[in-house]
Amino acid sequence: MEQFEQLLTCCVCLDRYRNPKLLPCQHSFCMEPCMDGLTDYVRRQVKCPECRAEHRIPYNGVQGFPTNVTLQRFLELHIEITGDLPDPTSGQVMERCNVCSEKSYCNVCMHCEKKICPDCKSAHMDILRREINRINNQIRRGVHRLHDILSVVEKNTQSLQNNCQSVSEEIDEVYRRLTKAVKDRTDHMRTEMDKYLTSEMKNLSTLKENLELEIANITSNSDLADKYMIESVEWEDCELMDTKEIFLKTVEFMRNFETETSDYSRRVRFSMACDPNQLVNNLCTYGDLHFIHPPSTTQSNALLQPAVSGIMRSKSDHRLATQFRQQQDAYNGDDEPLLGGRKFGERPKPTPEKHTSDSRYGYDADDQHYDSSRTGKNRFRSRFHRGHHEEEDETESRTVKTEKEKDKVTTTEDAAKGPLSGIFRILDSPRAMKRIQEADRGPREKKEPPKPVAPVVTQVKQVQIPTVTPPVRPKTARQQSEDEIERIKRENKTTAPSSSTESPLADRQSILKKTTPTASSIDENEVSQVPISDIEPQQTTTTNTAVTNNSTQKQSPVRSSSESSSTESTSDAGSTGPPSVKPAEIPPIRSRGAGSASTTSNTVSSPPTVTEEKKPFQSRFLQSRTTVTPPKKEETESSSEEESSEESESEEEAPKVKPVVSTPPVVTTPVRSATSGVTLRSNDTTSSSPRSGILKDSTTTENRRSLEESTLPSRSRYEAPTSTYSRTADKENDTSRYGTRTRSTAAYEPPEESRYGTSSGGSELSRSRSTHALKSRENSPDRGGPEENKEALSSWARYLKNKYGSRTSTKDSPREGYSASSSTTTPSASTYSSSAASSSSPSSASSTSASRRLSLGLPLRQANEMHSSDDDSKNLQSSLASPIQQQVVDTEDTNTKYCTPRTQYLQKRRQILQIGGRGSEPGKFTWPRGISANGPENIIAVADSSNHRVQVFDANGVYRFEFGTYGNGDGEFDCLAGVAINRIGQFIIADRYNHRIQVFDPAGRFLRAFGSQGTADGKFNYPWGITTDSMGFIYVTDKENHRIQVFQSDGTFVGKFGSYGSGEGQLEHPHYIAVSNTNRVIVSDSNNHRIQIFDVNGKVLSQIGSEGSQEGEFKFPRGVAVDDSGYISVADSGNNRIQIFSPDGSFLRAFGSWGSGESEFKGLEGVAIMSNGNILVCDRENHRVQIF
Amino acid sequence: MAALPRRIIKETQRLMQEPVPGISAVPDESNARYFHVIVTGPEDSPFEGGLFKLELFLPEDYPMSAPKVRFITKIYHPNIDRLGRICLDILKDKWSPALQIRTVLLSIQALLSAPNPDDPLANDVAELWKVNEAEAIRNAKEWTQRYAMEDN
Repeated sequence: MEQFEQLLTCCVCLDRYRNPKLLPCQHSFCMEPCMDGLTDYVRRQVKCPECRAEHRIPYNGVQGFPTNVTLQRFLELHIEITGDLPDPTSGQVMERCNVCSEKSYCNVCMHCEKKICPDCKSAHMDILRREINRINNQIRRGVHRLHDILSVVEKNTQSLQNNCQSVSEEIDEVYRRLTKAVKDRTDHMRTEMDKYLTSEMKNLSTLKENLELEIANITSNSDLADKYMIESVEWEDCELMDTKEIFLKTVEFMRNFETETSDYSRRVRFSMACDPNQLVNNLCTYGDLHFIHPPSTTQSNALLQPAVSGIMRSKSDHRLATQFRQQQDAYNGDDEPLLGGRKFGERPKPTPEKHTSDSRYGYDADDQHYDSSRTGKNRFRSRFHRGHHEEEDETESRTVKTEKEKDKVTTTEDAAKGPLSGIFRILDSPRAMKRIQEADRGPREKKEPPKPVAPVVTQVKQVQIPTVTPPVRPKTARQQSEDEIERIKRENKTTAPSSSTESPLADRQSILKKTTPTASSIDENEVSQVPISDIEPQQTTTTNTAVTNNSTQKQSPVRSSSESSSTESTSDAGSTGPPSVKPAEIPPIRSRGAGSASTTSNTVSSPPTVTEEKKPFQSRFLQSRTTVTPPKKEETESSSEEESSEESESEEEAPKVKPVVSTPPVVTTPVRSATSGVTLRSNDTTSSSPRSGILKDSTTTENRRSLEESTLPSRSRYEAPTSTYSRTADKENDTSRYGTRTRSTAAYEPPEESRYGTSSGGSELSRSRSTHALKSRENSPDRGGPEENKEALSSWARYLKNKYGSRTSTKDSPREGYSASSSTTTPSASTYSSSAASSSSPSSASSTSASRRLSLGLPLRQANEMHSSDDDSKNLQSSLASPIQQQVVDTEDTNTKYCTPRTQYLQKRRQILQIGGRGSEPGKFTWPRGISANGPENIIAVADSSNHRVQVFDANGVYRFEFGTYGNGDGEFDCLAGVAINRIGQFIIADRYNHRIQVFDPAGRFLRAFGSQGTADGKFNYPWGITTDSMGFIYVTDKENHRIQVFQSDGTFVGKFGSYGSGEGQLEHPHYIAVSNTNRVIVSDSNNHRIQIFDVNGKVLSQIGSEGSQEGEFKFPRGVAVDDSGYISVADSGNNRIQIFSPDGSFLRAFGSWGSGESEFKGLEGVAIMSNGNILVCDRENHRVQIF
Repeated sequence: MAALPRRIIKETQRLMQEPVPGISAVPDESNARYFHVIVTGPEDSPFEGGLFKLELFLPEDYPMSAPKVRFITKIYHPNIDRLGRICLDILKDKWSPALQIRTVLLSIQALLSAPNPDDPLANDVAELWKVNEAEAIRNAKEWTQRYAMEDN
């Protein structure tokens, strides 16, 4: 047998003969590739490898040699005997690969749509895999956007429900009032009516009685007179006299008696205050509902609407998207947008039988042509079918085919298709299932022994009705069933080896079909899964708000109707049972499906639902404050969410959720909101305030505070909403270390404020302020009062006002400060004090800065500080006037602890210390980028970019702690870049690849995050550098948007400046940013090779440098830092040096060169200046921080 | 680089599964076309008892062109020069795709048993072999002893 096989083996390729050609020497070789290789094309000869005989090649090439038919028969015989599968390549013809042009058995590659050899094809598939991975990474990075949107949608549903609830309640209330009023009035009028009627009736009846009596008397009198006033009767004269008198009286009475006999039919009239028709009309239209349809991409919308960028760009608005889908559906009866209507993994065209035994070249070529044209068309259609429905006119057979295909698709893949994007789960595709199954099969088969066949059906059934039998171990059940299927497969194989693959697949499909309905129901639950994280913070929120409500109730009778009604309505909203309440905690496992379905149903019906339904409290801005108190809970929450998104087991998560859900605060909420609801009603009736709810809000907080801080002198001059500000501003000034600017008892000047408020004047501003004040209060409950207030204060307008206010009113104290300092410093610039002792006390720092200026005799701020020139000119004057004083005090300060910054900088070149080295352990770095050293505690924070964490060191470079890991959740980073520490020690991080800013408390606990990818206000594209000013404003270099954005410390967008370009005020890839204490904003305009200096409004003050390597020139400057006296340090990354500039922009000194030694740099990033004047430099490629 | 042709894979498999007695050829870990070869000196030859290391490289168009083979162990042989290059017709013009690694190595082994001083590569050796075969054989034995035996 072996010899037989050997005879059937070509000695060149050592494979079974394929299309053996017989040479005249009677030796046979495969036609391809063996014979090809043997051909000497020049001499048109073939040399037999066996006998070395040379043969002329026939005219039509090696094909012209006769085929060894005998050998071929033997080959077939051999196949029959051994039962081997026929060689898959048999019958195929080798072609030149269209990529590497090697001869091989080529197949069409879907990647390049060429016929290429297997090697190139596998390479292409690798490329595809890598691309998929890369895109997948993008998706993973971007999917949080969808999650965000989802949560926003959830939030929107909530708020919509609340809104509708509150509105309908309002309507009810109005209805109640109206009906009550009508009823009251009606009742009143009725009783009036009755009363009137009875009294009138009484009157009339008495009148009637009287009259009757009168008439009776008179008639009797008359009768008597007729009868007896005749001669026959004797009457005495007086009697007659009296009778006459009586009769006269009667006549008189009858003549005079007149009672009100006017028309009693119209005695009572009902008249209406206004025209009844009109009233009815008014009632008919007593209210109107205004449905606000936000335009798709307005700015106001930006708050609510999801990020418009990247993935979602084309379909930013779900309304649009659904419209689009509908349109599409209307358009194409028989076409699917995704994959051009194919099923997943299907070849784009029905491949005609190519593996025919005879290989006529012409036929194949034809075939190929046919194929390629078909694919081309297919692609075209799939891409452009939206507009070109007319393209449909194709051959009948084709459309029929697609119809069929579509039918199939609907059964499996359509089940889970995303309604917005048309993306279905690849996992649902039978092909994909098969692949995955195949991949998983190996190990599992080894683990579990095959089970009897019978249970399959029952198990499948079990899986189908998971709700009935919750404790079924879904996992194993599934596995078993899979195993069974495989068993069947194997059995099929053994019995019918040729047609084995069909039936298991069909089985699988049928199972899939069965499971899909349940799976889709999971889907619905799944949608409602995310909100848990929303609800969770809400629980704590409610307590907070309840407290606030309480206090405001006590102190202010004026209640903002809008707010309280919303709280009230939300408390009621629980009964409506929003879908989001269900704590379905399902990982998006899909076609693993059946098993997880049962677990989900478990969780759905689990107790937590009940507790949760009580409190779907929700308010947009309240929510954001909750982040402080329950950080741990949130963490677990987010992590569980992550897990679920990573298709982990759902069983583990159910217990996790429960404790979170059943937190105590739940109970309090309904009560609270109920009370607030009561107050609402009473308020509503008692007082109808003309002010807007927002304003009221601010006043209430204001009132509250005024009670709390009643010891403070109140400023009656100011209107209520603003007094908060002025008082706290005052407070801040007291604690502020920058005497010059902030000592503002400035009169509040409305016009000035409105100048800086963007457009909407006072109410807008007051709102933002008040909300902010609220927030900051909630945010830092454990922090000291003044700091809190400081934070609460920071609003753009206030800040500016402070700055300007100082100019207008109070210059006394700063000038005093200056003169004082000038008297304590040495007059000569030549006094080089070697001690670089640090001046950590802020007040002394400011005095030093002044003294430095004085001692240098430099008009430091004069040139470039237009906005504070008033101040400075006076400073200058005082400095000019001071030499005498200085000389006087000269002796006192010879050993001054501050050397002049200029000399200090001039001496800089030697490295004092270095931190780090490559690594991911504490104290090591992988590409450190941003660095910050200001802040109250003299700590150094380094953005350890590729370790996705922030490391914090003390002033001596000793590692203290770190925070952050990789990810896009709260407190996680993706290649963070900039880091800043604000005055109260919070860390503000530019989370570069997550396109957001995160804020952490001084211990590194996550506080909040804001921003997402995009170009709108408050959105980022790779934010890089970040800094804060003394007022807590956050400045972010939005690198890929080529602009600077400014935010309040709570993340409220304040302003932006800069646009792409190289002109003045334009930026190209700005990297880092620093703000001096004179409010000069220094930006490293990296790709323009310059430093630009702006004022806080974005007006260009000056610029430094141009491209080059000379002194004062830059190549891709990156980090910038500014010290207290305005000296600017720049990390000139392209020249690998640090350059220092005087405050006026003149070059002072440069040091450093390329390398990895001391004072050498590779790839500079951020720089920072410590309060003692040391310069910190992030030396990226050396993975270290150097201190000079 | 393109993937390894089936023929090379087959040959390698066969070399591993059915090794030729007295010959071992192991592909390099990093390069499957490069083989570490050890050939035992044939019996009744001056190279008996020696283990001769060779390197064998299959060029890109193998089997259409011959493999490159070279002795690494020093050997005293008229058809093998100081650098280990081998004068063997099937490695040159007489190469045929029908030949394989094993046949080539067998041929080399045969060459050791039957030196051909008439077609010399190392002229001095060939000279001696022709003039004084006994001394040549003694030299060969000595070299075998010295280079092909001490380090195994």
